[in-house]
Amino acid sequence: MTPPLPNRREMLRHAGCGFGLLALAGMLHEEGLVEAAPLGDRALNPFAAQPAHFPAKAKRVIWIFINGGPSHVDTWDYKPGLEKWNGKSIREFDAEFKDTTGFFKNQVGALMKSPFAFTPRGESGKMVSEIFPRLGQHVDRMAFIHSGYTESNNHSPALFMMNCGLPRMGYPCVGSWVNYGLGSESRDLPGFVVMSDPKGRGLPKGHAANWSAGFLPGVYQGTHLRPTGDPIDNLQRPEKLTDELQRSQLDLLKQLNETHREQFAADGELAARIESFELAYRMQSAAPEAIDIDAEPAYIQKLYGIDVPECGHFARQCLVARRLVERGVRFVQIYSGGMENQRSWDGHIDIDGNHRQFAGETDQPVAALLTDLAERGLLEDTLVIWCGEFGRLPIAQTGEKPGRDHNPHCFTAWLAGGGVKGGVSYGESDEVGYKAAVDRVHINDLHATILHLLGIEHERLTFKYNGRNFRLTDVGGRVIEPILA
Amino acid sequence: MAHVMRTLLALASLLAWGSGLAAAEPDRQGLEFFESKIRPVLVEKCYACHSAEAAADGKLKGNLLLDTRDGARSGGDSGPAVVPGNVDESLLVSALRHESFEMPPTGKLPDAVIADFVKWVEIGAPDPREGDSAPVAGTIDLEAGRRFWSFQPFRRTDPPAVKDESWVRTPIDRFLLARQEQLGLHANPTADRRTLIRRAYFDLLGLPPTPAEVEAFINDADPQAYEKLIDRLLQSPHYGERWARHWLDVARFAESHGYEQDYDRPHAYHYRDFVIQALNADMPYDQFVRWQLAGDELAPEDPLAMMATGFLGAGPFPTQLTEAEFESARYDELDDMTATTGVAFLGLSIGCARCHDHKFDPIPTKDYYRFASTFTTTIRSEIELELGEGETKVQVSSEGLPHIKHHADDRGYPHFYPETHFLVRGDVHRKDGVAEPGFLQVLMPEEKDASHWRVAPPNDEARASFRRASLANWITDTEYGAGHLAARVAVNRLWQHHFGRGIVATPNDFGTQGEHPTHPELLDWLASDLVQHGWKLKRLHKVMMTSSVYMQSSDFDEARARLDRENAFHWRRAPQRLEAEAIRDAMLHVAGMLDTTMFGPGTLDQNMRRRSVYFFIKRSQLIPMMMLFDWPEHLVSIGARSVTTIAPQSLMFMNSPQARQYAEGFAGRLEDKSREGAVHQAYRLALAREPTERERQVAAEFLAAQQERHQQAGHADAERLALIDFCQAMLSLNEFVYVE
Repeated sequence: MTPPLPNRREMLRHAGCGFGLLALAGMLHEEGLVEAAPLGDRALNPFAAQPAHFPAKAKRVIWIFINGGPSHVDTWDYKPGLEKWNGKSIREFDAEFKDTTGFFKNQVGALMKSPFAFTPRGESGKMVSEIFPRLGQHVDRMAFIHSGYTESNNHSPALFMMNCGLPRMGYPCVGSWVNYGLGSESRDLPGFVVMSDPKGRGLPKGHAANWSAGFLPGVYQGTHLRPTGDPIDNLQRPEKLTDELQRSQLDLLKQLNETHREQFAADGELAARIESFELAYRMQSAAPEAIDIDAEPAYIQKLYGIDVPECGHFARQCLVARRLVERGVRFVQIYSGGMENQRSWDGHIDIDGNHRQFAGETDQPVAALLTDLAERGLLEDTLVIWCGEFGRLPIAQTGEKPGRDHNPHCFTAWLAGGGVKGGVSYGESDEVGYKAAVDRVHINDLHATILHLLGIEHERLTFKYNGRNFRLTDVGGRVIEPILA
Repeated sequence: MAHVMRTLLALASLLAWGSGLAAAEPDRQGLEFFESKIRPVLVEKCYACHSAEAAADGKLKGNLLLDTRDGARSGGDSGPAVVPGNVDESLLVSALRHESFEMPPTGKLPDAVIADFVKWVEIGAPDPREGDSAPVAGTIDLEAGRRFWSFQPFRRTDPPAVKDESWVRTPIDRFLLARQEQLGLHANPTADRRTLIRRAYFDLLGLPPTPAEVEAFINDADPQAYEKLIDRLLQSPHYGERWARHWLDVARFAESHGYEQDYDRPHAYHYRDFVIQALNADMPYDQFVRWQLAGDELAPEDPLAMMATGFLGAGPFPTQLTEAEFESARYDELDDMTATTGVAFLGLSIGCARCHDHKFDPIPTKDYYRFASTFTTTIRSEIELELGEGETKVQVSSEGLPHIKHHADDRGYPHFYPETHFLVRGDVHRKDGVAEPGFLQVLMPEEKDASHWRVAPPNDEARASFRRASLANWITDTEYGAGHLAARVAVNRLWQHHFGRGIVATPNDFGTQGEHPTHPELLDWLASDLVQHGWKLKRLHKVMMTSSVYMQSSDFDEARARLDRENAFHWRRAPQRLEAEAIRDAMLHVAGMLDTTMFGPGTLDQNMRRRSVYFFIKRSQLIPMMMLFDWPEHLVSIGARSVTTIAPQSLMFMNSPQARQYAEGFAGRLEDKSREGAVHQAYRLALAREPTERERQVAAEFLAAQQERHQQAGHADAERLALIDFCQAMLSLNEFVYVE
């Protein structure tokens, strides 16, 4: 007798299986346990691959999050004008400057030129700071946005703004929206993976709210790979439960579940739950395999700098990111640096030392990631983003060694890979890099562009919650056409 | 002052509109162009429908004001009309070109005039017209709004007649069955007693019955045995623990600030204890509402009333604030209190009206700010209360008490401002007059205003303003206020947890965007029954649980499923997955490891053995085991949790140290030394039933074989290990986590 088939809407209500849900839906289908659903039926499977709104090159994203707020004028936004203004008061440049623009209103110093030398790189001749010797080799792959601005001068609201489009806690982040919009390509890995600082310097401000699904179903939240110890909870079998012993235990569970399942054959989620144990069993080997960089050949490990003490930790994460996207993970975010101050790019004190250190931690690994992705043909359909939550002021933050304070009015981001025009720069900051001046880019615009590169129209990606259709770009958003390939 | 204000405005427009420099320092040439080419056209062709004057006459179209610079740039319903420097984004231009809208409606303007507008936008749209756009008024038709079902008073309907009288136990059954009979459906017969007792235990207590309790119920010859069971469970202190958890989701309750440092609120747990105690004491629901909003004003001598005010202060709040953020952070906090009060008690998304009139529900922005101003001087404080065992520190929300410590105190964070202003588009730099406390006009008769519900402070020295008491008064007033809606929202929440979905499937949205009730007459009957009987919830639980629709079996029937696949009309009782707390608590209970100590501070330790409601809820360190099973993030009010089935849940059952410990505890309770005896005992403990013959056989064979495998693996104590493996599988069964 064929059991009656569960219905799709009912399955959606109880939709599930963050990891490997596609596989689960597939199995149920193969076993005739659920109605055949056309591929992409989200009702049956929230991670089913969804058709994009239009054809697009990028299929997945790796976001190198420059946590703490990188100084644009010391990295990618070369400002010869700042040398001219060096030592002068910013009020001479902009009479309306307020001491409360940055975070520390009592440490407002004079305009300060970059401590770093800039040289032209690549065919495009892009001026790049000396702290990125290797990344500078890739400028012809990058599209720079020099006119980004945000709405808060404070880390966590600005982080939420950059990740979720609003400067408040509780909204879905880009990775969640993208997985909601496109589904997953992975059979037994999460669609959205986040890695944070493994050197004990903490999580970004606001913690897990930065990879929250907000009001989207919880299956779309980011999976945080724990930086030390077991990366995912409960992957290790209990002591005295070998593979064989656990296998027989799971066989028992399956058998005992049978009677119950016969009685409730119509309730698809019960069948789904039985299969989820099989998936979990497989994940015990699949997940460690995906993040096992020891399986990589020596030349690849060397390329990333695994053995270089300065950058080895970030090299591992970049390499893991490549292995994850290779296995179908849709969205990977890696935070460079920990919580704040000297634990991240938050160079309040000693901008020179701070940025040299964090550029040193990331330059080789990120450059290697671009090279590696390109060599594997993955860069064509992988979007790589380099961006933090805000920029830094062109003035000195006074102290023993000069630093730079938060600047919500201007930051630089670059995009590379799938669908991005290389070797171009969009927008300009003013003469000293204080404010975004030409072709200003709101974060809604940046998000609209990221979604566009993935084939999603930002105005059509909506979710109804407590009576309103929400979108990542709130009520704004404009695609930055000139950087599209 | 005027100068400062103008500077602020200029700054605000700079921030908001990219190349706003042109607006802040318009050059003379540009202004001349505006005066000669643009303004005359606007006045002649546009102002009739797009100006403050038009708004005053009720002729405003599309909420678009073109008679001020701000109005043109903020735009109307369709977005900014003028984006300086960006012709493509400027709706005004595309409307003149008849590309988006066709304006003016009287006919397209000459090409030369349109070209002037294009040029004007290209040069940065210089525009000297200072001043805010006049606030838009009168675009919401309150009279029409009041006709929407949820804003109407109860419609009194007698329980209808049905064909199959034999199935009817309570009036609820008549409403359900009448609808089923219309649709050609019928419900299942009553479930057996083993099923009923397990269902009732999980529903009311969130714990399984013990084998002795099951046997006693099954062997009770009294025809009232089931009613007695329900009465007994409603008297259990575990009832409050179970149902408090449902309410804590709605109250977005947590015990830390969230945001940057996520500081603990070590004395916030008293609010959780209040909810448990109030439910256990069967506090009338209207009092439950009033105390959470204004217990400090209404019953300041009663420690429980003070504890109740923790509701208002339970939301997240940033700790690292810069001076530039002080005021907007306070407005965000007012919004948290306003929005949560709206969805929790009235099922209305009032928060949507913060920046503009509510797009769907009849809630003007003015109403929002009047509502929010109720909380103007409400802040979190810590006070010493006499709670039976000496003085205890308690976090409350009140007025006129010292504020709790805040990270930005040394920067001068004021905690509150003496007045709440109407804000244009939610922008603290665009104040538009002081808002006096008021309520939602759509939920009061036209001839009444807020003064009708005003509660005067008892004397001049009163610490608090009694604005919240007035609000509570209005929310629970069933004669002229929002009481009918409040009662509907309350009974719907009870129904939802007993039946798997609400009569209104969107428990936090009773507005026009929410689902309509599947059984509107039943909802009104239940709500008026609640009010008539003194807002007592325990009575209502019993009314629901003694109905035939509640007591029916879960059997599936394809023929009926074809008519109602989603079971919206309750022709069967679909198995429901237990929530995170109930799964864990049930495992601990079956393992004989549950510590039933009630109340007091919680813990983050996953190895604790108290009920899960006593986990400490720290926003940055949410308990992993709870999060696996759809625990909310405790940031905003959640009316219905999602129910997901994900592989990491299975990993928890298979591999977590806790699951293994519970299995060990469970195995330790199986006293019968024979394999078959142990299997019987395990089924009785975990599932409240005997194993079938096949189950007994499969399990016994497993125990023997697994013991052998452990021996071969060189494990001492192989027999015990095999039993633990078996018990772990029992706790992982579908039947264990799904309740029929």
